[in-house]
Amino acid sequence: MHIELRDVGDVRVVALTGDLDGKSAPAAQEQLLPLIPPSGSVLLDLSGVDYMSSAGLRMMLLVYRHAQSVSSRIALVGLSEDIQDTMSATGFLDFFVLSDSVDAGVQALAAP
Amino acid sequence: MDVLEVPGVLESLQPIADFVKEASAEAGLERREAYRLRLAVDEIATNVVLYGYERSGQTGLLRIAKNLDSERLTLCLEDTSPPYDPTAQAPPSDLSESLESRPIGGLGVFLTIQGVDDFRYEYVEGHNRNYFTVRRPAAV
Repeated sequence: MHIELRDVGDVRVVALTGDLDGKSAPAAQEQLLPLIPPSGSVLLDLSGVDYMSSAGLRMMLLVYRHAQSVSSRIALVGLSEDIQDTMSATGFLDFFVLSDSVDAGVQALAAP
Repeated sequence: MDVLEVPGVLESLQPIADFVKEASAEAGLERREAYRLRLAVDEIATNVVLYGYERSGQTGLLRIAKNLDSERLTLCLEDTSPPYDPTAQAPPSDLSESLESRPIGGLGVFLTIQGVDDFRYEYVEGHNRNYFTVRRPAAV
């Protein structure tokens, strides 16, 4: 799992690359949580993630809770059709803002 | 390759996934069905490693075999960790419940059962056996 970080204006864009499975998700989660800016905005770019198991869902759930607890706003971009299926079947999709592109996500999060 | 045997550790998830992908391609499964089958097998294999072997302090193998006929593909995942029947697990809590308050867990087996046409479990002579079956697309 590779994690890349850049700040676009006030929005932190975090791009993940690799599979999120029982092996990689716990490590990704550990790296990801401290990157969520308190009282800020984070756009999680998953366009480099082709696979997400329930271990990845668990990571998403903890990222969501962490963002809530530090009053950060979070949005997702680049979800594959398969990952959207999984997140929809498990009731995860409704709790995240989805964006069609990084630019759109940054704009959505930057809006007051 | 009809059978793959790997150590029951998390590092083996990738070779197992590769085996499943290859079997799916050979069976001519659509992308979505192939993904769901990989997910189903991966979830059970992860549980075997984390809860079957690691938690019980045992080591052992994961063995996956494929059986392809004209109508369906069946994969059998086998291990020698303590008996664990995924089909006996309680279903996950309310899936519409907020991510804030719902319990973590229970989703893996749900995704497994939901992801294949038939899922069966048996415990035979010290072996857990999980069978994943998907129908092949109708021949054109």
